[in-house]
Amino acid sequence: MAAATGVKGEDRERAIAGWLFMSPTLLIFGVFIIIPILFALYFSLTDWNGISPPGEANFIGLKNFQELLIGGGIRQADFFKALKNTTYFALGVVPAQTALSLLLAVIVNQAWLRFKGFFRTTYYFPSITSSIAISLMFLFFYQKSGLINQVLGSLTFGRWEPIAWMADPRGLFHIILEALGVTIQNAPDFVKTEVLGLTIWDWISGPSIALMAIMIMNTWTTIGTMMVIFLAALQNVPGFVYEAAQIDGANAWTQFRRITLPLLRPTLFFVVTLGLIGTYQVFDQIYVMSGGGPAKTTLTVAYLVYRSGFTNSDMGMAAAIAILLFIIIFTLTMIQRRITGSEADA
Amino acid sequence: MSKKWFAMLVMMLVVALMLAACGGGGTETTAEPTADTSAAEPTEEMVEPTEEVAEPTEEMAEPTEEMAPTEEAAAPSGDVVELQLMGWSSSDAENVRLQEMVDTFNEQNPDIHVTLNQVPEYDTALQTALAGGAPPDVFYIDSFKLPDFVQAGSLMAIGDQLDDPDDFYPNLRGAFTMDDTFWCPPKDFSTLALQYNKDLFDAAGVEYPTPDWTWDDLQAAAEALTNADNGVYGMVLSPDMARWIAFLYQAGGAVTDEGFTTMTLDSPEAAQAMEFYLGLVTDGYAAQPSDLDSGWAGEAFGKGQAAMAMEGNWIVSYLNDQFPDLNWGVTELPAGPAGKATMSFTVCYGVPAAAAHPDESIRLANWLTGSEGMAAWAGLGLAMPTRASLSEGWLAQYPDLQPFLAGAEYSHPWQFRPGFQDVLDTLNAGLQQAFTGTYTADQVLSEAQEVGNDVLSNQ
Repeated sequence: MAAATGVKGEDRERAIAGWLFMSPTLLIFGVFIIIPILFALYFSLTDWNGISPPGEANFIGLKNFQELLIGGGIRQADFFKALKNTTYFALGVVPAQTALSLLLAVIVNQAWLRFKGFFRTTYYFPSITSSIAISLMFLFFYQKSGLINQVLGSLTFGRWEPIAWMADPRGLFHIILEALGVTIQNAPDFVKTEVLGLTIWDWISGPSIALMAIMIMNTWTTIGTMMVIFLAALQNVPGFVYEAAQIDGANAWTQFRRITLPLLRPTLFFVVTLGLIGTYQVFDQIYVMSGGGPAKTTLTVAYLVYRSGFTNSDMGMAAAIAILLFIIIFTLTMIQRRITGSEADA
Repeated sequence: MSKKWFAMLVMMLVVALMLAACGGGGTETTAEPTADTSAAEPTEEMVEPTEEVAEPTEEMAEPTEEMAPTEEAAAPSGDVVELQLMGWSSSDAENVRLQEMVDTFNEQNPDIHVTLNQVPEYDTALQTALAGGAPPDVFYIDSFKLPDFVQAGSLMAIGDQLDDPDDFYPNLRGAFTMDDTFWCPPKDFSTLALQYNKDLFDAAGVEYPTPDWTWDDLQAAAEALTNADNGVYGMVLSPDMARWIAFLYQAGGAVTDEGFTTMTLDSPEAAQAMEFYLGLVTDGYAAQPSDLDSGWAGEAFGKGQAAMAMEGNWIVSYLNDQFPDLNWGVTELPAGPAGKATMSFTVCYGVPAAAAHPDESIRLANWLTGSEGMAAWAGLGLAMPTRASLSEGWLAQYPDLQPFLAGAEYSHPWQFRPGFQDVLDTLNAGLQQAFTGTYTADQVLSEAQEVGNDVLSNQ
């Protein structure tokens, strides 16, 4: 503190006023955020079942984490299954939503575009609609004789074989491999080796049809928000930079690549971070649309937290998974920050 | 730089809250209830219904009074005990009837005032209420969930304090019996039976099913009724252990041995039941609901896309409401190689171990499942009375539902051991794979067998 040389009465008063102004926030932050997090941390080290009062829970050290990470039983298999699904989910959704929202933002930012307000509102609309309502609507779309199959059918002149999207546990890569003639029966033996509770064959399944259906919907609902963020950043790019580039003879693509993208880097980092956090925490759409099924192929880590706590009556395990999820997201964000580099700080 | 890093850490923590809140939920009240929960702590004691717990001792009643918000309201009027009856919300007809029953009970018992609290997200709400130390006084417990509650020491065993407990069907008492203790009285029950679409049977020229059908009859009929061009299947089957298990028992198999020491899904009977069940699907005579644009089997059956379904009593009011023109009938499930078997699904009225007013709570549970309450409840014609003495009157009132009631004699309870949710999840996941042809019968069973043995060995 600069005032350390001699604390004057005025400074102290200011400090007290500052803390007083902060106190409502600090109180709420402490009661509803810090304390629950500390509780979760504590419960992750207990065998609390979530039914009996928490005071009766036994302290069991790192046993929950041990069971989840190296236990070799159903807990480990479920956790890594959920992690696998969630990772496929993030790998599909984050790039798609980032690219699409950037594209939309660039389009609705064009000076020549008419009815800008209309397009901006339309694109943003899914983001402000209740995700429960959207999920229910998409459940109908994804039925076997639903809208999506019908559209695909007419686009392919009836050659599209309708599928019950939400009931199909087949993985994308498994389907591709099968088309290439590789199935579990004739695959080399090493794919049956178990790594972290799942066989290699399971690890490389790719997202299931059901999971992809949710991924498509999730992308659609999130691009609006991301678009608004990009749009705000785009409008901060001063026009004279483009004018100067035009004078230098840069075409539209070069301008985008050499000016827009570099200037958007901090925003890009922000959007990708938000996307990663959002996808690794996806819960409500799973809860409404699939409940983790079919065959646990839409089981995500956040949904597993809920299942463990309330369906399996193992709140200690649920807390442990939540802590692991936190560590995973934190690590991913740190790695991503390293990759995006120091420009993100600009 | 370090400030930014800290800011980011804080942001991440904020985001993690959503999940952490689940773990922290209901912890605010942890400090207070220690006084009365000590009564519930030693689980060994809880297993035996000792008087100590059942009796409304001074120490037990007093600290909880502060926690029950209803208590203050009752305090001025003196001696009226406020009770909360918590359950999930069912159909409108059932909700109205239950409220009427509660009103009747309140009239007959001026010293007690019961409030009915029907909540959505029941499991979550009940669990937080129990963990928070302010449980409802009487609440629904599904038989499948009973072992978890018993293991957690959350329940008071009230089975021996009921009027004429032997009048309850033995298999329903069994559904709420664990470790030789009868925990709570069954409120009603449903069994699985075979529903058939008469028009589709007539069109295909197939004789209506009868109670003496066998698996072969079922398969032959399903084959004859399947008309793939019209999108009609012989049967709608769910990839769900709660349906397949009826075939398991019909084949003479079982999920575990008598003493719950080991899983028995590796038996030839289990394999036979699984082969038969999956065979109906892979041969194309049966389809799962999602392949018929339906959320559940009842919908597919109501829409006429499947000629047969195997559901419980709940399908009756659903079909009457949603498909009033459907021309359908119901009969008992076919017999397997080992004879007849079906499943009974039931719910009981539980009283928490930490009950604030154990005597009054037991009186309420006893009345609701006694001859008067049970008659009023079952009189709706939806679920069936759990007391054998009432079955005749019920049957006279609802003769069409006889096949469901007939199942009471040979049905098996839907109840296993604590932690069996994992077995259910694993077997269902396997069935879902097998229905799309990616798993064999053997894979489905061996995975569930392995998980189940883990669950059993951890007890």
